[in-house]
This record gives sequence, C-alpha cells and structure tokens, in this order.
Amino acid sequence: MAPVSLSNVHKTYPGGVAAVKDFNLDIADQEFVVLVGPSGCGKSTTLRMVAGLEDITGGTISIGNRIVNRLQPKDRDIAMVFQNYALYQHMSVYDNLAFGLRNRRAKAGDVDAAVRAAAKILSIEPLLDRRPRQLSGGQQQRVALGRCIVRNPKVFLFDEPLSNLDAQLRAQMRFEIKELRQRVPTTSLFVTHDQVEAMTLGDRIVVMKDGLVQQVGSPLELFRRPLNRFVASFIGSPAMNFLDLAVAADGEAFRLSGDGVALALPQRRFADLGRHVGGTVSLGVRPQHLKLGSASNGQQVGLSGNLMVTEQLGDEQVLAVRIGPSDIRVCGIDPELVLPAGTRIDLVAAIDNLHLFDAAAGTAVR
Amino acid sequence: MTAVETVPDLVDRHRFFDALAPGGRRVLFALGIIAVCLLFAFPVFWLLLTSLRPGYAVYYVHRGTDFTFDNFREVLGQEIVLKALWNSFAISTLATVLSLGVTVTSGYMLSRFKGPVPSLWFSAIYVFRCVPYVSWVLPLYFVTRALGIFDSYWGLLLPHVAVHICFFSWIMKGFFDGIDPSMEHAAMIDGCSRWGAFLRVALPAAVPGLTALAILCWLYTWNEFLFALILTAQNTPILTVVMAQFVHELGMEWHLMSATAVLALGPALIVTVFGQKYVIKGLKI
Repeated sequence: MAPVSLSNVHKTYPGGVAAVKDFNLDIADQEFVVLVGPSGCGKSTTLRMVAGLEDITGGTISIGNRIVNRLQPKDRDIAMVFQNYALYQHMSVYDNLAFGLRNRRAKAGDVDAAVRAAAKILSIEPLLDRRPRQLSGGQQQRVALGRCIVRNPKVFLFDEPLSNLDAQLRAQMRFEIKELRQRVPTTSLFVTHDQVEAMTLGDRIVVMKDGLVQQVGSPLELFRRPLNRFVASFIGSPAMNFLDLAVAADGEAFRLSGDGVALALPQRRFADLGRHVGGTVSLGVRPQHLKLGSASNGQQVGLSGNLMVTEQLGDEQVLAVRIGPSDIRVCGIDPELVLPAGTRIDLVAAIDNLHLFDAAAGTAVR
Repeated sequence: MTAVETVPDLVDRHRFFDALAPGGRRVLFALGIIAVCLLFAFPVFWLLLTSLRPGYAVYYVHRGTDFTFDNFREVLGQEIVLKALWNSFAISTLATVLSLGVTVTSGYMLSRFKGPVPSLWFSAIYVFRCVPYVSWVLPLYFVTRALGIFDSYWGLLLPHVAVHICFFSWIMKGFFDGIDPSMEHAAMIDGCSRWGAFLRVALPAAVPGLTALAILCWLYTWNEFLFALILTAQNTPILTVVMAQFVHELGMEWHLMSATAVLALGPALIVTVFGQKYVIKGLKI
C-alpha cells in the first residue's frame, strides 16, 4: 500500500501523436481513483505508464515516494487486471495465482497459504485445478483479481476489467470489487469508459478527453458541479440535455432565449453570466432534474415542447420532448401515465439544478 | 414497352440436386470423395505394388503373381541407402530444431516489436521470399564450396534453415499474433523479465502452433530434393537423391527405387499420422 503520484506526465508516440498531455494526479494511500473517458482519451495509456508497460515521454511517476520512471514492471510492486483477463492459458488456476509469488522466490508453504487465502476471499476454491478456458467470464475475472491480491502489492491497476462481461455480470462484479476493496484496501487506479462504473467505484474520478484531464473530483462533485460541458455530458445517465440560448441582461435577471424557450435567471445566481450578454450559452439540465408541470415560483424555470417518444422502463418512463431543434430527455415519469406522441408537455426545473456553459469553449459559467 | 422482366427462379439453381432421390446427394458426395482419394492413393498403391515385384516383372505389375521382399533386402544391403536414411533423418531433425529455434524468436519479434530492426528484418524476409526457390541453389553451391562446407551436414543444414526462416517466420508471426499480448504483460508485472514473459508465457501458449510447424518443417526437409541434389555428393548421401540414382546409364531399376521410396514413406507416414491432429489444431489458431 502506497500513495501514487503522477506529475507533468506526457506521452507522445513516435510519429508525434500525443496520447497524454501534462497529466497531474496525486493518489492517496488506499484511495480508489477511476480514470474515465471515451476511447482514445489516453486513460489506458496513463494506466500502462504507471504499470511500466509504456515508456513515458516526460514527467515523473512515483509509487510510494519512489520514482519508478525507469523501473521494469516487475520491480514496481504493482498488480494489474486486464480487460481480457490475460490469464495464463497453459496453467491451472492455482498456478496462475502462484506464478507471481514463485517468481519472487516465495517459499512453497507461503505460496500455498497465500493462494488458498486469496481463493477463499474470491470463492474460487473449487476452481483451483481447472484451466482458465474451462471457466466462465465472471470466474476468469475473479481469478484475475485473485492473481492481484495474492501478491499483496502496493497498487492495483484495473484496465477496463468489466468490459467483456454481460450487463448483469458486470453489475455483480462491480459489487464484488467494491466488497473486495473493503477487505483489501489497496491503492487502486481503475480505468473504464463506463461512467456508471466510475461513479459507483471511485473515491475520486478523473475525467479525460483527448489526452487532457478535464476534471478531478468525487463522484458527487462531478455530477453536481461539472467544470465543462464534456464532463457534464459524460457523467450521468441518461446524458445531460443541452439547449443553446442567447443571453440578454434585464435589470435583476438574465434573459435566456432560443427557439421555443424563454427563461429568466437571477443575476446573483449566475454572476459570471454577465460576460456572455449578447452571446450564447449552453443551458444544461439533467433528465432527472426535469419534472412535469409549470414554474410556480422564482426558484424554478419552465420549458415546454412536444412529446416525440416515450420509453417504458417499468419503474419509470423516459420521455423525449422536442424543444426547438433539440430533443430533451426527461426521466422519472410515472409509468402509468399515458402520454400520446405529439402531446404538449410542460416541464419545470429548479434553478439550482441548471448548468450553464460557454457555447464555444464549453467551460462552466457560474 | 413493359418494364416487367422475368425474375429467374432461385429454386431452379438447385434443381440438379433436388432431382436426386433422398440421400442421393450424399452418395454423390461420397463418390466424389472416393474419386479424390483414389487420385492420391492410387500412385502410392502402385508404388507399393512395384516395390514388391521382382525386377523382371515391374513392367507387368498388373500381371503375374510373383511377390517378393528381395527388393527391400537388396536395398537395405546397400551401405549408401542406410547412410542416406540416417542422414536424411538427422538433417531433417537438426534442420527442424535449428529452424524452430530461429523462427520462434524471429516470428515473435515480427509480431510484438516495432521499429527499424524488425522492419528491416521483415523486409529482408520478404525480399528473400520473393526470390524463386530454384534460383537460390546454384549460388548456394558456390557459397558452400567457398566456405568448405559443401557435401557436409552444415552445407545442407544452413541453406535449409535459411529457407525455413523466410517461410516459417511468417507463420510463426501469425501464431503469436493470435496470442493475446496482455498475457505477457501480466507476466511482466508478475515478476518476469521481457525474455521471461516470452519463454514462460508466450512460448508455452504457442506450443500447438510450434508442433504443427515442427511437423511441417520436418516433412519438408525429409522430402526436399533440389538442395540435396546440388549441395551434397558421396560424403553425405541423402535419401531423395539416392532414390533418384537408381536411374542410371544401365537402365532404370524401378523395383529398387520403389522399395527405397516405400522406406522413405515410412517415417513420413508415421510423422503425418501422429502429427496431423496437431497440424490441424496448430494451423487453426
């Protein structure tokens, strides 16, 4: 167990493609940090640089206050779970678990004790004699986790470990990883493209895009106060709705208007909005924060549009409402409610739940 | 003018087979298979028959009932044939071991590494592969003579290994391409060096492919004729060449040639029968 620190880490591939640009992150001892972003954002490259599987072009990476830039993966005292499990196909589960310990010349008795203990934690004791290809995806992933914990390393690295599992199993393994963490609280870096995994697993989340860190924060921070439009749209499901609106000042309020939309926002709530008067901003509102009804007080704003589609999920309905050129999603609608397509829908949202972003740069306007 | 055209009835395409009685298609298929088998098996059968006939009767294999093992006795009594059997076996085995030793690392490099060295190696192999096999043999004759290894094991082994490297590195690369590199990465994190990851994880995973390649390599060398003919003389007789030498100025000793050929067939047959399951398994990955 150890803190991990990345400072000014760069990665440029031969040919000039910059995969990771100026990455800075301090991971505390026992902290679970999730790197999340769309494919090609540099999150896996960052993880592989920590693992030592990729050279770094610039900056320093340290594990437990020791700079590991030039250390071989085997000397970094880390363990890694891969997307496709990467189990040694020609070895039994037992040997898979024991491989790392034997490489470190542990005594046979110690190896056996460690393997059995890890197998017990992960409930894979009956599988120890099997070969990896005789196991299901979930079992293989559990063996891969076992291979990590058996060595008791300083850091766990997870490279999209749940992507190859079906949705149901993924949810279960997510739960198991969380449970495992309570038993084995090791510093962890977890890479995923799935924001649900990021939200549910991470103490802190790092959102990346195009090799750049967009925001670092706790799940709630990212959900409630996204620093830019990308983070706002990436975190949360269904994704945040956006409307591009023109800004005008009118006494105590800012007036936002667009195709079929006219809103008034108090100036004291969005102090920075003054700089955008005469320009346009993106108004962001989460599907969960929209309700049916009209604005009844100054703390709310109303939107209205035509219902395009409803999606019945059993416990709720999701509506798609067309306002001007945009389709707005609304969650949490009573499943019993019968709403024919084309119905005029009035929506209301609390001003506190609105997000504003610079239309061009995408940065949050507060 | 009408735009409607007759659309050909798709069912019509199957009319020939549909017209057969139930099971007829299967019978036809079986007949086809038998025909193909005969095409390949009949020459072998004829060879076997010839090898069992006395010398005077080889031109009348289909007539007469004289069968004898004398041909085998005579052939096996010749020292050169015994030497050739041993040499062929030794050269095939050594060439297989040496070739695999090189191709396994060469194929692994082509599969896993990028940079100037692998690209240069790749280009070199590519260029040599494009050169017709036959055109190698004469320069090799001069080279082996100059090196003083003409008509020796090395003089035949090295050219064979060179050819194998060019041809089998590609197949080897394919095997390694099919093995997930993250397994080696896991091994490197688990305490192996880069070499350790290759030897202890990638190599064992490639064993089915390696076995297939070993068998192909062995058979290829065992059956090879041209290099053996040009690059060896009396000191290192090779079975394929010795076999051909039963055709000489005094005539053609078909019976002895056939007997030698049947002897040559034996090991190849054993290797094939034993190995075909590995070859199929190996080439599938």
